[in-house]
Amino acid sequence: MVFDFKKKGQSEGGIILFNNVEEAIAAERLLMAAGYEARLVAPPPALRKGCDLAVEINLVEQTGIERLFAEKKAGYLEILPVKGKGALLGVVKVTDFGEAVMVKAGNMKLTFEKESGRVVNVSGGGCPDIPYLHACLIDKKLTEARRPKEYGYTLCSLMLDRAFIESLDIWKGNGGRS
Amino acid sequence: MLLICGTIPDEDFPLTIGPVAFDEESLFLDGKALSCTQGTAALVGAACKVTAYLGTEAPRALLVGDRGMGKGSRSLYEYLIRNLPSLSPRVLVLHYMLPVMGLMKRVVESSERCPRKPVLVADAAAMYAAKAAGLAPRFDIFTPDHSEMAFLADPEASHPAYVSRHLFESDSAMIPELALAAHRHGGAAKMLVVKGATDYIVEDGRVVGCVSTPDIPALEAIGGTGDTITGMLGAFIHAGFGFREAANLAAKINRLSGLHAAATPFTKIRHIIAAIPAAIEECFPSNFVTQQGPDVGDLS
Repeated sequence: MVFDFKKKGQSEGGIILFNNVEEAIAAERLLMAAGYEARLVAPPPALRKGCDLAVEINLVEQTGIERLFAEKKAGYLEILPVKGKGALLGVVKVTDFGEAVMVKAGNMKLTFEKESGRVVNVSGGGCPDIPYLHACLIDKKLTEARRPKEYGYTLCSLMLDRAFIESLDIWKGNGGRS
Repeated sequence: MLLICGTIPDEDFPLTIGPVAFDEESLFLDGKALSCTQGTAALVGAACKVTAYLGTEAPRALLVGDRGMGKGSRSLYEYLIRNLPSLSPRVLVLHYMLPVMGLMKRVVESSERCPRKPVLVADAAAMYAAKAAGLAPRFDIFTPDHSEMAFLADPEASHPAYVSRHLFESDSAMIPELALAAHRHGGAAKMLVVKGATDYIVEDGRVVGCVSTPDIPALEAIGGTGDTITGMLGAFIHAGFGFREAANLAAKINRLSGLHAAATPFTKIRHIIAAIPAAIEECFPSNFVTQQGPDVGDLS
């Protein structure tokens, strides 16, 4: 059953667009089998591209869904927020604490020690993968830790990934010492 | 009852509700030990410190394991939807959980079926869900940081990752304007406690207080220092303090805890939490004795 996007109840903020109907149907099945809540919808006219069938998702789960699609080689055009300009925040802010540097991306902050490149703190965020990522990253060297988006599921983990990559660039850009 | 709800990073931890004990290193809920780390555990730990100091009832926690896939979070929402009217907490703090707007809406509706509507406090992704679902004005208090304040002020963003760049890049001096914008388009709770270099206390879009001393810049880097403010705030309100006084105390004590812990970017949140009693002592007369305070609904 395909729902009219405007007529259904509370939207969870995200929509996946596809090249063709077959991709959309396969994606919905894949998502449901993996434990995600997803359903086929007619995309809002302003977002329509590719085929006339889309899958509605909880936008917050974008990171895990993109990874699942990559692992399963599932085809899709893009994942977009239903409202807004559709652009993920790309800008970062850097704070120098002397012995440590804090990199902020969106609502996430990662702080590493200049001398060793070791992650000393992770703060911000609010999605349930963040406390786990925090525990996994603390005391790890940036060069040895896994990227957060490889095992996070949410947009918070995607922001943490951006802070992580920027931190790594700063660390490497200074010859392994900021 | 002060009821704190959130997730912990252990997929095997079942949905559990009960009073929480805290022994400096670990939280104990239903006989199970939990590490007091960044997230809801830090919030609960800070609340426990306040209730222990004041001699008030220990917080109850509703916790579940979830590493991001959302299964635990959904069970938590469903439990609240079914049981809030019978639990009828005086203060309900919603924290780390997968933001699911449809379920959050049903939780708020359930809270409104309590014999007496709880004081609703949201932080972290519970706040994201409440704002994105258009439920913010039905909450009493949100506790955002600066970037989350930008999110609340952006009428179209459903998560801080999609906030408009110009709002994200706004200077902290813009927080009063962001708070007013959030209030005007329905993105703010009745009170906001905006955590940052200066902590702003905002009521109905208007700044009514600021806390900026002691100035401990390293607190921003330490994971959990926002959680501790929210936990203390909930505990003070439950003890009968007015919202504004509770917000002032929570912000001030958090900073003093950082001072007592000699906070640096390397400090861990458990060291900040351990310093809370000394910080409270500094704020109150040494012979301070708590009475169950005035009706929270009557505070102004």
